[in-house]
Amino acid sequence: MPKPDPRGRAGAPALSFLLLLLLLAAVPSEAADTVSVDVGSVYASNEGTSIDPALGTIREKLHSMFNYTSYRMLDRKRRSLSVGEAGEFELPGRRTMRATPLPSRGDNVRLSIQISDGPRKLLTTTLGLRRGGMVLVGGPSHQAGVLILIISAE
Amino acid sequence: MDCRTARARIEGKADGPLPREAAAELAGHLAGCPACASEDAAVSATGPVLRALTGIRAMEKAPALDAMWTRVRAGIEEGREARRRPSWIARWAWIPAAVALAVLALLYYPAGTDRSPFHPRTFDVAVEDVESEVATVALVDKGEDLPRVIWIIEDAKT
Repeated sequence: MPKPDPRGRAGAPALSFLLLLLLLAAVPSEAADTVSVDVGSVYASNEGTSIDPALGTIREKLHSMFNYTSYRMLDRKRRSLSVGEAGEFELPGRRTMRATPLPSRGDNVRLSIQISDGPRKLLTTTLGLRRGGMVLVGGPSHQAGVLILIISAE
Repeated sequence: MDCRTARARIEGKADGPLPREAAAELAGHLAGCPACASEDAAVSATGPVLRALTGIRAMEKAPALDAMWTRVRAGIEEGREARRRPSWIARWAWIPAAVALAVLALLYYPAGTDRSPFHPRTFDVAVEDVESEVATVALVDKGEDLPRVIWIIEDAKT
């Protein structure tokens, strides 16, 4: 009569642990000099009164700061960038944003930001923020409203 | 029917009843052939003798068969017990597998357009410099509880 193979049982957890180790090794470790730049493109207009739930806790703040009735997130992109590495973000309306982390100290992040509309440079700025901080860049016209960029760095 | 065919049917009858027509033909032949009738009687008597012999042999072998069945049953029970009580390693083996799945889900969560809500920890931002080639730029600061805003005014459109 065939008996259950004890090696099979011991092999299952061993295989699982091995898989876990491989996965952990595959996860890119967030080095201190790496900045995760998150850019959300919000379309603000007076068309309707809806506020996108994906905006999270920032919804009420947008509502209190601007005179628009509708806020809809069109796109959101996140990119991990090393210091000196430029990351290109495509924005609605064929605009682009280039973000480059600059050398900084401690918990602070410095970002060089350049927003272009084709060949026109709409904005060139250098921001200093804490990790987990956020800044808004708004104003470029889009359809019947404007574009508001939610830029955060982790 | 000739004797050769009759003998074949007599042997066939020992294995099981013949079809009605074949049985009738055989009976007709046996009525007129004493040799085949004698053969039929001998073969017909063999069946009960064999059955009796098999019964006797089975009775003789019963204790051995019982012992073998006891061993088989014990083996089955042993296997069931082993399945019911797995080792602690096998019992918790699903945990690393579940963790591995969670890591996979995090790794391969669609990153193109993230729909997870924004939860900023701070609005403390320093704007070191700001300029534009084609627009007027205003810096709006409405307090620590609200994010700082860089507002681009394109050709007096906004």
